Amino acid sequence: MPWRLLLRNVIGHPLRSSLTVGAVTVAVFLICILQAVTSGLSRSLDATAANRLLVQSAVSLFVNLPLGYQQKLSAVEGVDEICKWQWFGGRYEQDKGGFFAQFAIDPEPFLPSYPEMHVVEGSYDEFIRTRTGCVIGRQLADKYDWKVGDRIPILGTIFTRTDGAPWEFIVNAIYESSSPAFEELQMFFHFAYIDESLEQRGATGPRGSGIFMLKIAEGVDPVSVQSTVDELFENGPQRVQTTTEAEFNRQFISMLGDVPQLLRLIGGAVLFAIFFAVLNTMMLTGRERTRDLGVMKAMGFGDGVTAWLLIGESLLLCTLGAGLAVLLAVLLEEPLADGTAAFIPGFAIDRQTLSLGVGIALFVGVVSGILPGVRAARMTTTRALQEVV
Amino acid sequence: MPAAIRLRSVTKSYSKGGQTLRVLDELDLDMDAATFYALMGPSGSGKTTLLNLVGGLDQADEGVVQVGDEDLAAMQSSELAEWRSEHVGFVFQGFNLLPVLSARENVELPLLLAPLSRRQRRQQAERALELVGLADRMNHKPRELSGGQEQRVAIARAIATDPQVILADEPTGDLDRDTADAVLEMLRRLNRELHKTILMVTHDPQAATYADKTIHLDKGKLGRIEENATPTGGS
Ligand SMILES: Nc1ncnc2c1ncn2[C@@H]1O[C@H](COP(=O)(O)OP(=O)(O)OP(=O)(O)O)[C@@H](O)[C@H]1O
Ligand SMILES: [Mg+2]
Repeated sequence: MPWRLLLRNVIGHPLRSSLTVGAVTVAVFLICILQAVTSGLSRSLDATAANRLLVQSAVSLFVNLPLGYQQKLSAVEGVDEICKWQWFGGRYEQDKGGFFAQFAIDPEPFLPSYPEMHVVEGSYDEFIRTRTGCVIGRQLADKYDWKVGDRIPILGTIFTRTDGAPWEFIVNAIYESSSPAFEELQMFFHFAYIDESLEQRGATGPRGSGIFMLKIAEGVDPVSVQSTVDELFENGPQRVQTTTEAEFNRQFISMLGDVPQLLRLIGGAVLFAIFFAVLNTMMLTGRERTRDLGVMKAMGFGDGVTAWLLIGESLLLCTLGAGLAVLLAVLLEEPLADGTAAFIPGFAIDRQTLSLGVGIALFVGVVSGILPGVRAARMTTTRALQEVV
Repeated sequence: MPAAIRLRSVTKSYSKGGQTLRVLDELDLDMDAATFYALMGPSGSGKTTLLNLVGGLDQADEGVVQVGDEDLAAMQSSELAEWRSEHVGFVFQGFNLLPVLSARENVELPLLLAPLSRRQRRQQAERALELVGLADRMNHKPRELSGGQEQRVAIARAIATDPQVILADEPTGDLDRDTADAVLEMLRRLNRELHKTILMVTHDPQAATYADKTIHLDKGKLGRIEENATPTGGS
């Protein structure tokens, strides 16, 4: 096998080779990113806890449930803890582009309900004691360089203060999460603080809570609790919909359409495009080499060698492309994960994703080489030599 | 060991558009070992076809094609390929060299099929290039060489494996007079000094004078075989 010739064929056509390698790089990189997003989404769904139910209005997530529901819910058998989750939707003053989620919650039942949340700095007890306190995730703290004790001004958009000033929260604790479903780009503060302000007309905004989270006691079937809760409010005043956390997240994602399916389709299209691009290049290359391969056959090189020269070249170009794509993916993983953390909590380019990308590139390489390779092998020497280039 | 070439009632036909064209018709031909032959004839008379049969690039429909001790008609195509790599060197009209390889690498290419070490390959290629007077152009790519130099590299490649037979199909077809003469002189030296059996197709009567004998071919039939009493060439 004349390896040097194979290498020279690649190096000897720098423009064609670099364009092909570039195309494969872009395609494999894209496929890796798409795969990372899809698996990130499904990872965060898989990581959701089965023992947590979310109660929301049957009408829409944007309709609040009356606070009076809390009492009725806590009376349901099998409910261990109950905690409000109210989307705050505020804006950090200095924040130019990025957005992060803020929720008003009940500090006391919150911590035992979310064992994946680990306080690593400050004190959660301090948070419970501080009316205007907040708990923030590690990534959020890093993003804005916030420390325990900092005061963070948040301008309300749904809940606005009557004096027009931003809300101010003191960082009491910073947490890290051990589950991809529980993001580190969130801020939690006292529901009571917001509600009190509304009560005293220090602020305006909707009353009630968007969600009641129910933590189910051990050994209790969440499905039975689910139906009990739904039946409880069957006749109003507002009907509710109770879902598992996984189901809730799935619905939330599907508000954007069937994202994973769409991503898979795009990935497929990219795959096809790159396959035809490489195949086309290799077919042209094979045709252009006809005379060369004829001369080699005349010298006594076998049909297999001529075929392998083309398959090897195709494989080499695709391998180079895949290698560059992997390098790019590894280098860009962190900035990409940071940039998308708020939307895709589980985004990670893992080894499996990279192998998928490399596998696709190798497959494209072999198949694109086989067609011109078989043609080269089948061609008779005399006919190849007759070819006028 | 120089090889003689013997053809007995060799027939070769091509079918084209439903019609069968008999290119070589019961051809008998004897060529002596270590002799330089020119093969002449009108276009389409079957010169290239004959050369391909002798070189084992193609097989006759009928008849015997014997080169040295081997009967090519009895061989499989893979056996033929192996036989070619050891026993024949080819020089074609143009586009002989692989453009991505240097002159030396081009000459080394057929040596990859021989049981040689890397160093031996390199040395043998360099020796062949010295023989054609291109030792100083070894690392040049074909496009950096003139047409005559390219053909000389092709000749170096043809002799690199030290074959008994050299087959050349219009090797000077694309060259001007002076360059052609230099290439022809080279072929004659290979015959004189290394005792190669050479069969060279040419349209150029002056080129034919470099050979010992000229074979005339017309419409697939053998014409006269001229003896070039005092092969001079050039002037
Ligand atoms: N592969 C092929 N298929 C069909 N016909 C062929 C094939 N190769 C050659 N021929 C025909 O066989 C005849 C002889 O061809 P050949 O190439 O041997 O001629 P030639 O004497 O070398 O001519 P030229 O001087 O033009 O090179 C021509 O009529 C040619 O068209
Ligand atoms: Mg011809």
